[in-house]
Amino acid sequence: MRLADAELLDSRQILPGQWLQTYAAPWLAAANPRAGQFVHVRTPDYSGLVLRRPFSINTLDRGSGALTIHFRITGKGTEWLARARPGERLEMLGPLGRPFEIDPRTRHVLLVAGGLGIAGVRALADEALEQGRRVTLLFGAARAAEVYPSTLLPPEVEYVVATDDGTLGHGGFVTDLVPAYEAWADQAFACGPWPMLATLGSLAAGRDARLGVARLGRKPRRAPSNAPRGSTQARRKAWLQVSLEQHMGCAVGACLGCVVFGVDGPQRVCREGPVFAADEILWEPVA
Amino acid sequence: MKARKKVVPATRASGGGRARDPFATPRRRPALGGVPASRLAGRPSRSTAAPAHPGSQPALAASRAGATAGDRAATVDLTIDLAPGRPGGLPLRNPILVASGTFGYGVEYGDVVDVQRLGAICCKGTTLKPRIGNLPPRVTETPAGMLNSIGLQNPGVDGVVEKYAGLWSTWQVPVIVNVAGESIEDYVAVARRLDGVPGVAGIELNISCPNVGKGGLQFAVDADAAGAVTAAVRRATDLPLLVKLSPNVADVRGIARAIEAGGADAISAINTLSGIAMDREHRRPLLGNVYGGLSGPAIKPVGLRVVYEVAQTVRIPVVGIGGIAALEDVLDYLMAGASAVQVGTAIFADPTLPVRLIDELAAWCAANGLASFRELVGAALPAGPRGRGRGRDRPSAQGVEYRP
Repeated sequence: MRLADAELLDSRQILPGQWLQTYAAPWLAAANPRAGQFVHVRTPDYSGLVLRRPFSINTLDRGSGALTIHFRITGKGTEWLARARPGERLEMLGPLGRPFEIDPRTRHVLLVAGGLGIAGVRALADEALEQGRRVTLLFGAARAAEVYPSTLLPPEVEYVVATDDGTLGHGGFVTDLVPAYEAWADQAFACGPWPMLATLGSLAAGRDARLGVARLGRKPRRAPSNAPRGSTQARRKAWLQVSLEQHMGCAVGACLGCVVFGVDGPQRVCREGPVFAADEILWEPVA
Repeated sequence: MKARKKVVPATRASGGGRARDPFATPRRRPALGGVPASRLAGRPSRSTAAPAHPGSQPALAASRAGATAGDRAATVDLTIDLAPGRPGGLPLRNPILVASGTFGYGVEYGDVVDVQRLGAICCKGTTLKPRIGNLPPRVTETPAGMLNSIGLQNPGVDGVVEKYAGLWSTWQVPVIVNVAGESIEDYVAVARRLDGVPGVAGIELNISCPNVGKGGLQFAVDADAAGAVTAAVRRATDLPLLVKLSPNVADVRGIARAIEAGGADAISAINTLSGIAMDREHRRPLLGNVYGGLSGPAIKPVGLRVVYEVAQTVRIPVVGIGGIAALEDVLDYLMAGASAVQVGTAIFADPTLPVRLIDELAAWCAANGLASFRELVGAALPAGPRGRGRGRDRPSAQGVEYRP
């Protein structure tokens, strides 16, 4: 975790109300962050906006230290951020949180993103491709105008789109596409609205039973790992990992403001998360 | 200048165990005594509000004091004893504390913040049994502030002692454990458990958490109950005892008086103000708990008012809390009668702020010819500079002898 300034290099609107900004943050690259981690960005005027804003690391070029963040204007903080001009310096705290954990044996990686959730899994596409895995991205949006431009994705990614109104790709929820890929995918990683993640969570819970027949020819699994739930080892074994968002205060685990309720009690999104194995989360109460 | 020379008033000798008047010893050091010009220029007094502002530009202070500004700032006495009536007291190296709930247990910010430099750390509210806290969402930003309703999530006093006390005992920064409960028995049991634990420097009684059904708020709104819980905890432990006041009351003075009579060593004020935020999209209150506690710059005037009133009511030190985000805020609270301050919400935006405030306060005191920030404590109270005017004396602002 480091606290330092990053200079805004480029800011552009890539979708209606959604911005992609590039910052020079070599100090962040030096800290070797991984996909799923985030930065906590200071707002300009403390007397008005008292909280920092957390943003997933969208992409990070390790060579040049160019960091991108992707956000939607939802309030005063993001409004101000969208108005920032190249050359401005923002103070960032990061990298924070725990990253996505890919099982070393995983060959096929399924990414599922709902709307702005793409910002949560975008870096994982780079990371997985770098490690020689195959990546499919299922992306869901309300309509064609809000579909993430494929030019911003690495060409190796298989990109499948669903829109709620059917104006592009599959008409319906992105979660409808997942069953077609669940046998192919060795692991899945998702970020998006809570109902989407909850649906995926229940899909993931029933996956072993549905695919049981596919295991017939394989060696029986070793005894279930006794790694405690929430540990890095347990997450690495999880088929579905999700990146959650929550109103956040300190982002380092001090204020207990950003919790979600998990099977083992309250979990801090900033510290135990933002990435969780799907079976750590209680999906029902908020759905 | 002569007219302002400080003299020990004979009346203060009747102060019982507190024979030595903290205000009678201005602790001017020779190095500082030799700069009457700068002292005159920046001397804080009731008639000029100006001295509150130069501190906002450390560069200004530095230029005025020349190359020796750093040296001079280093000689400023920032020490304060928050429990002057207690054997051993609660000596702090400086009056900048971090407020409960905003700094976890002192470990979360890692090496981003040098915690050892802080005056003290107030840890997250601790209860007898573990608590899982309120439903999310728990925090949201509001105009010039934020609402939180954590609901006292904590591992329980045993968990806190097991996990952190060992580490705390190796720190030079004192850790004050914030204690919450639902009944007097709860408070007493937690205090007993903390009594004598190495690493626990004091207790701050949170009798004012607005976020849980029985968060103890009933103790903070009733003078008799506040006095009773203070006295009960006082009997249970010899640890320095602070009691944190709620602003959600009609008249805070009676409660402060009862807490002082109950044997508290200091009063911290204020806790958060009860509030609500709306989720327009879903047409329901935004926070999972509906109610939350408002903090941040928005509540600074309320905090100042409470400190101002309490400081005129009690003799024990007052710790000012509420919207402190810059040196100006610290000075305001000191002038209103606070002997120390706690920084809270501002830490979220700038974790390094508390440590920076220590340096800025020292620089400001040096630039304004104060040998100690304590000369500022209560400067704005109607009783006026010590020894003159009517009304009660200012609350205690006694320094400590050791220099680190």
